[in-house]
Amino acid sequence: MGWALITLTAVGAVAAIVSWWAPPRLGHATTVAAGVASFAVSLPLVARTAPTSALGGWLRDDALSTVFLLAVSFLYALTSIFAVGYLHPGSDRVAAARYSRRLFAGLNLFCWSMVMAVIVNGLALLWVSIEVTTVVSALLVAIDDTEGATEAAWKYVLIASMGLGMALFATIVMYQAGTTVFGSGYELFYPKLLAGAPHFSASIVRLSFVLAVVGFGTKMGLVPVHTWLPDAHSEAPTPVSALLSGSLLAVAFYAILRYFQITVRAVGPEFPRHVLLGFGLASLALAALYLARQRDLKRLFAYSSVEHMGILAIGMSFAAPIAIVGVLLHVLAHAAAKGTAFFGAGSFLRKLGTKDITRIAGGVGALPLSGPLLVLAVLGLCAMPPGGMFRSEFLIVSGGLSDPSDAVVAVLVVLVTLASLGLVFYASSTMLGATPDNVVRGETSAAMVVAMVGGIAGLILLGVHPPGVLSHLIERAAAQLGAPT
Amino acid sequence: MNAVLVAATSTVAVPSTFDGVAESLTVVILLSEFAMLRAPLSRSQIRLYSFQSLVVSILAAYIAAAKGLPDLYAIAALSLSLKAVVVPVVVLRLLRDARVELVASNRASVTSMTLMAIALAVFAIFVIGGLPVHSSSLPTTAFGLSAAVVLVSFVLVALRSDVVSQAVGFFSLENGVSVASLVVASGLPLIVEVAFFFDLLVAVVVFGVLMRVHHNRTDTLSTEALDQLKG
Amino acid sequence: MAVGPVLSEPVIQVFQDLTIVVFAPGVSGAIAKIEARFQGRRGPRVAQPYYNLAKLFRKETLVPEDASWVFLAAPVAAFACYLTVPLLIPVLTNFGLPLGYMGDILGGGFILALAGFSIAIAAAETNAPYAQLGSSRAMTFSALIEPTILFVTFAVALITATDLPYAEAAANRTSLAAVLRPAHLLAAVAFFLVVLNDTGRIPVETHSGTLEFGMIDEARTLEHSGPALALLQWGSNMKQLILYVILINVFIAPWGLSGSRALGSVALAIVVFLAKALAVGFVFTLIDNSFSKLRLFKITEFMAGAFLLAVLAVLVLFVGG
Repeated sequence: MGWALITLTAVGAVAAIVSWWAPPRLGHATTVAAGVASFAVSLPLVARTAPTSALGGWLRDDALSTVFLLAVSFLYALTSIFAVGYLHPGSDRVAAARYSRRLFAGLNLFCWSMVMAVIVNGLALLWVSIEVTTVVSALLVAIDDTEGATEAAWKYVLIASMGLGMALFATIVMYQAGTTVFGSGYELFYPKLLAGAPHFSASIVRLSFVLAVVGFGTKMGLVPVHTWLPDAHSEAPTPVSALLSGSLLAVAFYAILRYFQITVRAVGPEFPRHVLLGFGLASLALAALYLARQRDLKRLFAYSSVEHMGILAIGMSFAAPIAIVGVLLHVLAHAAAKGTAFFGAGSFLRKLGTKDITRIAGGVGALPLSGPLLVLAVLGLCAMPPGGMFRSEFLIVSGGLSDPSDAVVAVLVVLVTLASLGLVFYASSTMLGATPDNVVRGETSAAMVVAMVGGIAGLILLGVHPPGVLSHLIERAAAQLGAPT
Repeated sequence: MNAVLVAATSTVAVPSTFDGVAESLTVVILLSEFAMLRAPLSRSQIRLYSFQSLVVSILAAYIAAAKGLPDLYAIAALSLSLKAVVVPVVVLRLLRDARVELVASNRASVTSMTLMAIALAVFAIFVIGGLPVHSSSLPTTAFGLSAAVVLVSFVLVALRSDVVSQAVGFFSLENGVSVASLVVASGLPLIVEVAFFFDLLVAVVVFGVLMRVHHNRTDTLSTEALDQLKG
Repeated sequence: MAVGPVLSEPVIQVFQDLTIVVFAPGVSGAIAKIEARFQGRRGPRVAQPYYNLAKLFRKETLVPEDASWVFLAAPVAAFACYLTVPLLIPVLTNFGLPLGYMGDILGGGFILALAGFSIAIAAAETNAPYAQLGSSRAMTFSALIEPTILFVTFAVALITATDLPYAEAAANRTSLAAVLRPAHLLAAVAFFLVVLNDTGRIPVETHSGTLEFGMIDEARTLEHSGPALALLQWGSNMKQLILYVILINVFIAPWGLSGSRALGSVALAIVVFLAKALAVGFVFTLIDNSFSKLRLFKITEFMAGAFLLAVLAVLVLFVGG
């Protein structure tokens, strides 16, 4: 199955090059093809029970990687379809063509780097790919060239780069921990590190883990280093926002999980769990509070992303394996739901020309298909059945209940409820009610609707009946993350 | 009294010459980080960064010569050419185009910033310098000092309100991490180090692009205006 | 090398004091000459300070109306302090002299501070505006530089387990590595900055000229005249030379001190010391001509910088530097 990995490596890069040089139409087609192909190629990997390697071990895909690969490639496919419909010709053909080239080349490059991040073998290459995602996405955030976009892009690149500097420090410290076992001059491959981890020096591994959580946490959106997130996600073009929220945060979480794996084997599960719990609670609390006072639709969804990242971190802090299963399922469901939510926000932006919640009303009437789909997505984000997030949060909470003290679970439930209230309130105020008369009813573009339908379908599938192979995959991945018996 | 003298000279635990020189170079790197806190002109900050990168290259070359690690010569050369020459030239050119001289006013006075930075450096040196990091290439002190450089660069980014200072703060953070990587140098595979470098270069390019975009948009290099997005 | 008759230790101790007393004005004059040459002028005679002192001793003393006996006692007290300190520091020899353990670096620091304090009190009670201004500024800035001096002392103490200047000098002579260690270099530079501050040179104060708005130390002596002023000027020259002694013979270049009690080697030590002092003076002249005086409220930045170096010196020692 090594060919699958090599295909994944090639597809995004080729599409990026084509989008940059070829006429826009060809670029659009290539991007959609690349997205769908990436998703299609990652499907057979779901059923594999053993890790797949390629390129002499430099690429490696095990169960954990496949879960995140699904999250990335699913959104790659959907976003590429959405982006085709998102572009509107405008009056200036030349400028529109240039914008389209830049946007699509950037999208392809961005998705390529995210895919690479989950399939490369080793902490060093992981860091390199995440750094590439940062630089590409920073340029994409700034692509709209408005004041807000410039501010958001600058904040993003500054904070994320400082965070990645800390993460590089973490990589070096982990490498140093390994020199006691492997001597000098070894590759930071995962199997090697996991095998040698029990012999690493505990204090050095602890330092490395904390640095990694803080460093990659800036990319994941953990409080208190999340300050770039609401700005960047709301000021970026919608396809980019969807990818940032749905996939990039997940990839950053993946990096933290790799460090988690090694740390659990080196110092035991207590320390990493406490660290993640602290950050998770802070993120959830802050997001729940801020959700209540948003005026901008995309910013609302950005804070919702912070909330869900907090839930992921808290879920990892529970000892029961079922909680980890819930966490991984949550990653997939969040990708689907958040992507769809942003697609909906983008549709409204295209239709009504504003993201301001106080000025949008009667959305269901204005966009007869996208409106209800957006409502479904928001309900999904609030963990209502039959969405996938209901199932995943259920698993996380039941995992937490088996912990000796259920204080954390209680806090989790309260904060999630608070956050849902905020989301539901704003969703209903924008979607329901009478449509203003000056708005023409009807969808702007079929492509955007198709993308949203795909997202909702994925979400409901995960909630109602996840395919057997997928469940087994998630269980295998959870086993990788659990404490060794 | 002479007995005291004799006793003093015999209990002196002196680090070896190599250790002493390497640590002194690392201290110079930390001091240049502190000097950036004080520099009033954007030009001076860039030049200080260029000087800091030069000292990092000299340190790498010194370790290569003293410990016989030829890989490090390549690192030193890359570091010199990229960080001490290319990046400062690019940023200085941007400054010339922007026709901006002075660094925007700090959010705290220089003395307060220095004291805060001293406190952070103390924290870093004690907490991280106290870890059992044993390396054959650099003494443990250098590890703590590089962590201090990283933390002081955070002060530079947080308490300065213009784009150039923040960018220079980020670049000097990378310098600190480079010194830390020199501590474990006798091993990180060369290809990985080169990958780090080129990644850094790309990040620098992005910084440059965004600085230019910011300047075109707001006609200033201050981040005072970047406070629209709140809440 | 046993050249000439062997002196007893008390005699050598007296020679230490005499060296400082006799040569202090000469060193100041030589530095002024070097500075003038640097600036392209011919400059005053090297012996000019001696002539100044002689002239002042012949003049009458005027006392302000509001001053008390402190005003006349202060110059004498200060001079007495400056006569005491050379007994404690390694001026000529690298072995300890009988009175050398009477005080350590902290003790020497206290006595120097006492001298400064008495001069400041005398200036404060004259009721003249500039003298009082100088007095309050001098006290403030000397308080601000105290932490740096303390941390330098701590660094010395951590290296040698005592804080005797003799012991530190001996430790620095042991090997090249002892000189190149970062703790020593940082402490040396920090102390260099302290000397800059205490001798009133750029960037803290311009020691030549009488810009009252910028004067700190110089302003304190504005109201004195006659022999009292002579003692004050002599005392300030001695203070400068004493600080040079500590800087050179303890931190930077503790070589060339006499190892035996023979007259010849002691004489050689005197010559070597004066040469080193002139070299240091030359460095100060270079700094004078390269930088400008800092504005008064920016002097705290300078002190924060010196403090930073001293703190780093101590820290680095704790982690093995």
